[in-house]
Amino acid sequence: MKPDLSVTLGSLRLRNPVMSASGTFGYGLEFAPFYDISRLGAIVVKGLSLAPTPGNPPGRIVETASGMLNAIGLQNIGVERFIEDVAPRLADAGATFAANIYGRTVEEYEEVARRLSGLPSLAAIEVNASCPNVKEGGIAFGSSPEGISRLTGRVRNATDKPLWVKLSPNVSDIGSVALAAEGAGADAVSLVNTLVGMAVDHRTRRPKLSNVTGGLSGPAIKPVALRMVWEVCRRVKIPVIGIGGIQTAADALEFLLVGASAVQVGTANFRNPGVCVEILEGIEAFLREERMSGLGEYRGKLVL
Amino acid sequence: MPSSRMRTAAGRIVRNEGHGEIFYRLEVALPEPVEFVPGQFAMVSGWPGNDPLLPRPLAIFRSAAGPKGKSSVEFVYKVVGRGTALLSGLHPGDPLSLTLPLGRGFDLGKEGRLYWLVGGGVGFSSVFPAAAALARRRAEFEMFLGSRTRDQLPPKEWTPGGSAPGRIHLCTEDGTSGFFGRVTDAVRERMGSLSASEASRLTILSCGPTEMLKGLALAAADRGVEMQAALESHMACGFGVCWGCVVALREDGKISYRRVCREGPVFDAREVVW
Repeated sequence: MKPDLSVTLGSLRLRNPVMSASGTFGYGLEFAPFYDISRLGAIVVKGLSLAPTPGNPPGRIVETASGMLNAIGLQNIGVERFIEDVAPRLADAGATFAANIYGRTVEEYEEVARRLSGLPSLAAIEVNASCPNVKEGGIAFGSSPEGISRLTGRVRNATDKPLWVKLSPNVSDIGSVALAAEGAGADAVSLVNTLVGMAVDHRTRRPKLSNVTGGLSGPAIKPVALRMVWEVCRRVKIPVIGIGGIQTAADALEFLLVGASAVQVGTANFRNPGVCVEILEGIEAFLREERMSGLGEYRGKLVL
Repeated sequence: MPSSRMRTAAGRIVRNEGHGEIFYRLEVALPEPVEFVPGQFAMVSGWPGNDPLLPRPLAIFRSAAGPKGKSSVEFVYKVVGRGTALLSGLHPGDPLSLTLPLGRGFDLGKEGRLYWLVGGGVGFSSVFPAAAALARRRAEFEMFLGSRTRDQLPPKEWTPGGSAPGRIHLCTEDGTSGFFGRVTDAVRERMGSLSASEASRLTILSCGPTEMLKGLALAAADRGVEMQAALESHMACGFGVCWGCVVALREDGKISYRRVCREGPVFDAREVVW
């Protein structure tokens, strides 16, 4: 029997728990040459702002041991062009998709959310409360429970779409931030965004990124992400979406095991454009092998 | 039929040999043949482990269609860091992951034009396929190849064009072979002898270090000569989703960041903010 891979995130049912992480999957259509993008649980598109954003000057990425730093600066086409040009094509492709959003002010977040709310094909809105690379990228709101509570509450009132809040790991107590998001009406929390890091050249004496600091991602951050997801799962009742260094089905299963309802795959897409589907197939194969009928039998069953 | 469709491919190394001082030639067997435009590239990885994490962008040097499973693609690379060092340690028979063909290559579309192909350092790996394509259609071209010293010029037997390779100008910074000086200076000198009508027919196709491309772009702009430059950049994905590899372009008086992997790697040199 084919195991049931579907997952429930509040009112939203996804065909499986494998999503792409925002900022690593473009607007989704870029992956259509590699596989049928409707196979994914959901595509989370690159962060959208009210107006198109040019992003940071070059010197945007650098590789580090088992990871990479990026300081893209949220370059994007803006919410209007997404609604007009991209969303219909994603819908035509049969894809389930969520929009990651950010603003320079709370009002801008509200406005982007309001505009997206009229898009019937949109499955959810993910609030980026945690981009470390632009001053206005949400980090100002995302680093305290009070800030998250205010931002989440305001966006909540602006949209009826399922609302996910993407959390920063660059905080001292991520559990409290997650609780604040839950209290303010989030339907789910997704974590972690990138860890703030830095790389310099000891000969030229300069930083390797034009932005000086950037966000660390990739397998290097997986243990940190896993711990935070585990911690948050014990604090909140809403679903948790696990993100951070997932490259294989085993990585994804680890996040599900500590309590995540779904996962997002990020940097691994750069390395292998087909990785999301490989992970999806790997999870299915694992359930068959373990003779489980669905993910419910496995999720959160960490043996302590 | 060879396909120019972007795809991922499981390759197997046929050869991976060092030549001269610094260049490696890598030939990879592919399940399906690949058709490419000179200047297009592949993302290549195959070393074990996560360090480095990301594949390396390599210009496609040659491709050949063969019977089932016997098609191949070739690259020329220089060891510049950990990734290429690990790549150079792989052996025939080892598996290699590729995504290809990627980006927008040189525009060789115009008949009746005169082409100068300029390659600096390992930049010849993008320029030679363009020369091969021009030679096939008997277009008029000259090639300028520059390096620091004689031993770092591309091996003679790799030069495309068979018995009629067009006119080749070798340049070394230390004067050990050909023109004594930078390739940019050789191009400038040769440009001095062009008539206005020749200059208007000329297109420069170039690949090499940024300083070289910048110098060429200035020289070309001085004479109103068209120039296409194949740029290099640090890339995470190579197919347009990470937005990490951008270059600043001046378009309609405005600065925009364009992806080297998608809108490039070949750009109109007049638009690049050098």
